[in-house]
Amino acid sequence: MRLKELNLRSKIPPMAVLGLIGLIFVVIVDKFLSAYITSVISFIFLYMILAVSLNITNGFTGLFSLGHPAFMGVGGYIASLLILPVFRKEFFLPELPQWLATQQWSFFPAIVMGGLIAAIVALIIGYPVLRLKDHYLGVATIGLIFIVKVILKNNEQYTRGALGLNGLEFKTSIWWIYFWLVITVYVAWKLKFSSYGRTMLGMKENEMACSCLGSNVTALKIMAFVIGAFFAGVSGGLWAHLTTVITPDSFSPSLAFNLVVMLVIGGTGSISGSLIAAGGISLLIEYLRPLEEALGMYGLGQILISVVLLFVLIFRTRGLLGSSELKFLQKEV
Amino acid sequence: MLKLLKKARPVALVLILILLSTSILMAAGKAEDAKDKPIKLGGMYNLTGGFSSIDAPGLSGAKLKAKLINEAGGILGGRMIEVVGYDTQTDQQAAATQSKRAIDQGVVAGLGYGDTTYVMAAAPLYQSAGIPFVTSGATHPDLPKWVGDMFFMVPFGDDDQSYAIADFAWNTLGVRKVVIWTDDSMDFTLALSKFFKERFIELGGTIIHELFYQTGDTDFSAHIARLRDARDAEAVFVGSVPNEAGLTVKQIREAGIKIPIISADGYDTELVATVPGPALANDVYFSTHTYRSDDRPEVLNFIEEYIKEYKREPENAFAACGFDAVGLIADAIERAGTTEGKALQKALAETKNYQGVTGQIAYTRPSRVPVKPIAIIGVQGGKFEYLDTWWPEL
Repeated sequence: MRLKELNLRSKIPPMAVLGLIGLIFVVIVDKFLSAYITSVISFIFLYMILAVSLNITNGFTGLFSLGHPAFMGVGGYIASLLILPVFRKEFFLPELPQWLATQQWSFFPAIVMGGLIAAIVALIIGYPVLRLKDHYLGVATIGLIFIVKVILKNNEQYTRGALGLNGLEFKTSIWWIYFWLVITVYVAWKLKFSSYGRTMLGMKENEMACSCLGSNVTALKIMAFVIGAFFAGVSGGLWAHLTTVITPDSFSPSLAFNLVVMLVIGGTGSISGSLIAAGGISLLIEYLRPLEEALGMYGLGQILISVVLLFVLIFRTRGLLGSSELKFLQKEV
Repeated sequence: MLKLLKKARPVALVLILILLSTSILMAAGKAEDAKDKPIKLGGMYNLTGGFSSIDAPGLSGAKLKAKLINEAGGILGGRMIEVVGYDTQTDQQAAATQSKRAIDQGVVAGLGYGDTTYVMAAAPLYQSAGIPFVTSGATHPDLPKWVGDMFFMVPFGDDDQSYAIADFAWNTLGVRKVVIWTDDSMDFTLALSKFFKERFIELGGTIIHELFYQTGDTDFSAHIARLRDARDAEAVFVGSVPNEAGLTVKQIREAGIKIPIISADGYDTELVATVPGPALANDVYFSTHTYRSDDRPEVLNFIEEYIKEYKREPENAFAACGFDAVGLIADAIERAGTTEGKALQKALAETKNYQGVTGQIAYTRPSRVPVKPIAIIGVQGGKFEYLDTWWPEL
């Protein structure tokens, strides 16, 4: 009996069950619920992708990066430029160089390309920047957000400057977001429970000890940074084709802080924790809206989130789940 | 397998909870068609975040107009108007989701925003839902072209206000050579300077040089040194938002430079007089909504009602713009005799002589940027004085 059970369990991992339940959920949302609810759920999934991918960088290795919005900006603009139909480019961006003006990619490869370019940027930036620790890295990555913003604003030939690219086609269906959410969680999960992930988690506890044991600490840091950036770039492309507009101000430092809040509340290092926190916080803000409107007290939701954050920081420093996962999701070793 | 399902129960529970709660969210916002229910308008504004000082007065103005209409008996034979304020937090993503929410809740028209960026996240959603959207404060003249036929503007376009002050500088002040300063962190100010240059060069004028700064800059000494070097400059045009309006005047005058300072509605703020003080606030000219220093009954009535409702003066012209946006929509609903999107769009497009607080509004140009008079205001000794009215050519 016991044997059989174990056997079954190894055949159907709990994550697959979770994925299936999610799939049924998406079908229900897509078929029966309104455009507003669908877009709220889409953004919740997007935040989940962002939180989980930032967790790879910040949660696993203990780096403190606030650079996610910068990578979203890079990925978002690359994907938008590649997807924008040729005739619209002639109208919007008449000075675009020929090789780019004639590109018209379909959705999936363009999104992947956005992610890849963001990852390459992370690789180039990461090499010098990851020598910095703690809040110095945080400051440097905030700087990165502004550098990207200034570049986007001043290269009008490619980006239309501060006006941004508007009238993008709506392409990011809830199915696409769910697909990317599954990929992100899968990659993060596999990484966390691989030898790389274990070393990363060890690095967070004691970097010196880890390098003494022969781990290549710098390479691992860069790896975590680059993987996080890839998914941030992907989310940027998804975001742009969900809101149908992208400007240099779309991805601000406050977005980075929101993501860090999700990580802290969910537990840095915990994938299921950041999923719960991202979903919970986004839902809470959306729920409080009717209340805000009825009371005429706009901003109530944001205040409430800050209070929750304070309480978590004081009474439960490790967040909801610390760096562990929900029990029933964990593989029995 | 059973055990496994049991173990997955918390997850399933959470998902069911989410699903249930979303359906409650939706049920709460179901559209109402009953005749005695109020007509809902979606007031899309950034009530929190960086744009709140511009957008919050806009919503106050919009709500005030709705209240006045209701007190006068409503529209379509006694139906009330309700402006629902949606806070989009100076965030494009919130602008998009909240627009969908407003449409879901059955608003018959949207209005709002003092900036192009947020209009472009919200208005296209209204367009594709077949519901008209009237921006109360965004001024880019290409907006109607970008969004589509469901889109209307309350304010004049940036091109008009820049042309107005360029014409005034050329004709009345007799200026032939100018220096231009531009805030390059905003598309609004970039557009102002672009259209000013365009007109001024067309008239035959010369741009000596153009320098840039950013919102939040406080020291203009480098700009002033260049300005002093440009000895033949006869005026300086500052493409600015209200934030830097007072500082630029103060520092230019303190440096002993006496040439006229000209600008557009970014200068329409008390700061121009209060920051430099009455002794230095001289020879400043700007183009703006005809609402300031205007004694038309619409304006006086608006200011009086605003003070009565909110116990303070209207903060800026955006309050008046929000007021006019609701007025325009109500006027169009009355003429269309229905709140249905297509008919409403048609009625809005046929608006000819709407007497708004911010001036008369007509959508007779193919670009659907309203044909509105623009006021030229001069500042002497810290006092604002109405000088002239400029009309766009048709």
